[in-house]
Amino acid sequence: MALHKSMLVARADLKMAMKVSYVKYGLIAIVSLGPIMLVGLVFLIALLDPATAAATLTMMDPLLSPMLGILAIIPASLISANALVGEREQSTLEPLLCTPLTDRELLIGKALSSLIPAITLLLGSILITEISTIMILLYVGAEVVLFPGVASLFLLLTAGPTLILAIVSVMILISGRVKRVYEAYQTSGATVFIFVIPMMLPMVSMDASGNVDMNLVWLSNIVTFLVCLLLALITWALAIGRFNRDKMVSM
Amino acid sequence: MDEVIAIGLTKRFDDLTAVDHIDLNVPEGSIYGLLGPNGAGKSTTLRLLCTLLRPDEGTASVGGFDIIESPVKIREITGVLPEEGNHTLYQTLSSYENLEYFGKLYDIPEDEIPSRIEELLSFMGLWERKDDPAGELSTGNRQRLALCRALLHRPKVLLLDEPTSALDPIAAKRVRELILSLAEKYKQTFFINSHNLAEVQRICDSIAIIDEGKILLSGNTKELRSRLQASQSYRIRVANDLEGALLVAKSMDFVKSVDKEVDSITVTIEDPDSNNSFLMQSLLSKGIKIIEFAEEEATLEDLYLDVIKGGAE
Repeated sequence: MALHKSMLVARADLKMAMKVSYVKYGLIAIVSLGPIMLVGLVFLIALLDPATAAATLTMMDPLLSPMLGILAIIPASLISANALVGEREQSTLEPLLCTPLTDRELLIGKALSSLIPAITLLLGSILITEISTIMILLYVGAEVVLFPGVASLFLLLTAGPTLILAIVSVMILISGRVKRVYEAYQTSGATVFIFVIPMMLPMVSMDASGNVDMNLVWLSNIVTFLVCLLLALITWALAIGRFNRDKMVSM
Repeated sequence: MDEVIAIGLTKRFDDLTAVDHIDLNVPEGSIYGLLGPNGAGKSTTLRLLCTLLRPDEGTASVGGFDIIESPVKIREITGVLPEEGNHTLYQTLSSYENLEYFGKLYDIPEDEIPSRIEELLSFMGLWERKDDPAGELSTGNRQRLALCRALLHRPKVLLLDEPTSALDPIAAKRVRELILSLAEKYKQTFFINSHNLAEVQRICDSIAIIDEGKILLSGNTKELRSRLQASQSYRIRVANDLEGALLVAKSMDFVKSVDKEVDSITVTIEDPDSNNSFLMQSLLSKGIKIIEFAEEEATLEDLYLDVIKGGAE
């Protein structure tokens, strides 16, 4: 297997996506929503009460930070839907399947074309949120905390990429069954909501003052990561094993 | 040696048998035409040969490689122009970028790719448009660009699905000339799907006629033509004395039928290779000025009828 061929496929997919302005700016806009919302919130909290800002942010972190993951994963689902189903819809898949690319090279290329931008956007949004938070807290003279905090960073940096891989795998699996890109969007969109688990689960432990049990936060984040990992492993194995050129072309 | 061989090749889609136990033998360096109407099984046959589809029964080899056991090898040595090839380009990429991408996928050495692209685009008259997005090219130019993509890695076998469909007559002629010149220059084997009998007659060494997934007839183009059409129709347009031309034609034993039109007559002649010159001389000797003596193109439908009527298998 030649990895450079997979990279070629990924680069070409990205190049084509970036040549379409509404795709390029649409992706940036979706991912920007997370940092804008979180940094805006940090600004308000810090400005209203700098003394309690750090504690408030620590309390809200487990509930809000997964949003960065969801918003960074949505572009992955959009790109991966286009990667195979979109190519077939635009009639460009057949010539690609006629090249000496093996199934594995092609699928890894398609996976990378979603993973690379999605992870870049995820890291970018985390970095922007962290730096902006630190700057705001320093500016108002409040205690400096990480926002997203360590538990959320663990979630975003582990479960994020694995869920992106799972989404790409789901897309490959359904690519032989759905005819249109919008059908693929709907299926992949549902997968994103796994990230709702770590947003909702810690609420169970929330007391009257709004504090959440950090042990439960860590547990829910680890469970989410394991769910994503399991999903990614199963769907990737199925995608590789069941990918069928015959079915892709016959539809 | 045969470059493409199919034995009992069969492909089914649910209840439909798209390709039904077909046998093919395409000699190396030849231009082979697979003729048939829409839905006859031409595209499915081509997709089986380029390993996009897996057969349900039978076997086939391309360039000595089995389509089941060595699909990657086959994809390395074949160039494919899919059906509606002009729609299969990346619309947002330029002509050059489209070819560059495929050049890399076909493992052409990096330093050779620019020269090959320039050679092909220049040959096709597209070099000036190399930076234009493929989506902005005309249908004819896109078809030529798709052909460049199929040729870029200098494949041994070219599998072309309706290469001139959707092209205007001038562009279609250019593509036909291109196929002939490539066959001569690189000695490549061409397997061409078409529903255009006239086109196939012009460029193919051998043809097969397929309908409802079955090969009805196959063989050398010239032999088939004489076998199927022992008599041939010609349109004779004259500058004067149309009635005289009609009488002369009717008086000939080898003329099977004569139809009069506004400025011409259409005659069906037995053994035209021997008798055409005699008919022309007779017309000229009566002072009839011939403006045009043209072969009437037989339609695919005529051929099918001949095949079915004659039971020629």
